[in-house]
Amino acid sequence: MARTLAMFTDTSLCIGCRACQVACKQWNELGLEEPEWTGTYQNHAHFTDKTFRLVRFIEAPGAKPNGDLAWLLMSDVCKHCAQAGCLDACPTGAIYRTEYGTVNINQDVCNGCRYCVASCPFGVVSFNEQTGTAKKCTFCNDRIHNGLGPACAKACPTDSIQFGFRDELVAKANQRVEALKAMGFKDAQLYGADSNGFLGGLNAFFLLLAKPATYNLPENPQRPQRNVVVDSLFSIGSAILVGVGALLAFRERGKGGA
Amino acid sequence: MLKMPGWEMSIVWYFFLGGIAGGAYFTAAIADNVGSRRDQAVARVGYLLSLPLVAVCGVLLIADLGVPKRFMNMILHFKFWDPMSIGAWAVGIFGAFTFVSSVLSFTSSESMAQLRRRISLVGMLFGFFLAGYTGILLSNSAMPFWGDSRLMGALFLASGGSTGMAAVALIMFLTGRSVGEAWHKIEVADRYSMLVEMLVLALFLGLLGAAAQPITTGHFARLFWGGLVGAGLIVPLLLNLFGSRVRALGLVSAVLVLVGGFILRYVVVMSIQG
Repeated sequence: MARTLAMFTDTSLCIGCRACQVACKQWNELGLEEPEWTGTYQNHAHFTDKTFRLVRFIEAPGAKPNGDLAWLLMSDVCKHCAQAGCLDACPTGAIYRTEYGTVNINQDVCNGCRYCVASCPFGVVSFNEQTGTAKKCTFCNDRIHNGLGPACAKACPTDSIQFGFRDELVAKANQRVEALKAMGFKDAQLYGADSNGFLGGLNAFFLLLAKPATYNLPENPQRPQRNVVVDSLFSIGSAILVGVGALLAFRERGKGGA
Repeated sequence: MLKMPGWEMSIVWYFFLGGIAGGAYFTAAIADNVGSRRDQAVARVGYLLSLPLVAVCGVLLIADLGVPKRFMNMILHFKFWDPMSIGAWAVGIFGAFTFVSSVLSFTSSESMAQLRRRISLVGMLFGFFLAGYTGILLSNSAMPFWGDSRLMGALFLASGGSTGMAAVALIMFLTGRSVGEAWHKIEVADRYSMLVEMLVLALFLGLLGAAAQPITTGHFARLFWGGLVGAGLIVPLLLNLFGSRVRALGLVSAVLVLVGGFILRYVVVMSIQG
């Protein structure tokens, strides 16, 4: 495997211009969608089968260092989890990990069962009615295989989205958190940078200025498949009870039948 | 934030009919192996019922895919930890068992009947699997309520047992076989399954606590408490216990169990997606 690539989205630098969102749409030819009224500048409300980068506009009372309302911006994207729920759920093998550590959906193999949609802890994977397949950010698979960074990172005018080798970006991100804390952003923290943390680390990780919950991100997302064994054992227990019931009902009580 | 998979009525029907198919088959296999010669009526009805049902299940599953003609892609791949992957395989293998058992249920030769009983002991395992794995599929997703419920598979399995037995009893009634020992035995077996289902349902709700709210409160609460717990479990159990002398009450009980089994799948699948 090649050295793991990553995207580091430093939300403290985001100015909400949505160049990333537009560049993503253009490069990946994702097509138009009806705008949605979300009550903020944010559009759309959620990821869709045609929106893989989404700038979130969040008004968070009391999240500024001086206690004022903070207007938080975050360019959100597929996290390309090291332990990806969608990948583990996919029964066709359409979802695969590339040699760079990113997670991609082979559109020629996906048959649209939608288990990946239900298995993404972040609500990223979306079903496309036209193609009948699941869609999500490809980490610009075509671009990274031709020596280019993802379109969103390329378009970002403030370097809020940075692309590079994961280990180098994590080191940079840690320095940035220290710098922000020194400036008084006491809740500045990384999300998904720790490869020993949840989901084995995210290959698209974030620097947040407030708690993950403020950004509607789960504090401690878990692999959806972690309970398969326990659930199966309970089901086997249930099967034994039902089976023994039927056995008691049908067995011949010494009547010499059968 | 989370995205719903958009599994709707065809999946509800699949979960319901797959449960009946699995339940009817394992009931038939047990009746065939430990029962008397007269119990072979139960075995034959169970085998012959599971075959068309599992065929309908396959059609429902394939039709619900985004690209139905690629359904074979699930069979070209196998993941032992993935309920969707093993499930696709199991539906196919179970279908083959229901076919062989159905064909052999017409035999009059004792050696072929012996072969049928042996085969059904293996097929039975796939029957149990089909009845229960759909719950495990839901409980191993990132969705709230589904992902929180450790006993979803156990509950679906018990419900597959009770609905499978109710369906067998219903068909025996409709074809004029609701007399004598075999009818009594299927009624008793269904009673045990209902008791197991009630026990598992109580544990299911207890373990979930507040996470069960999508079905215990709000829009789906009336259907859940009235349709499943009341009309689909308590009433048929009472009819089964105290009305066993009157065959018509056995019929009502079987119909109510089936309706309850459908409501269970419906409220579980639709509540968080509605």
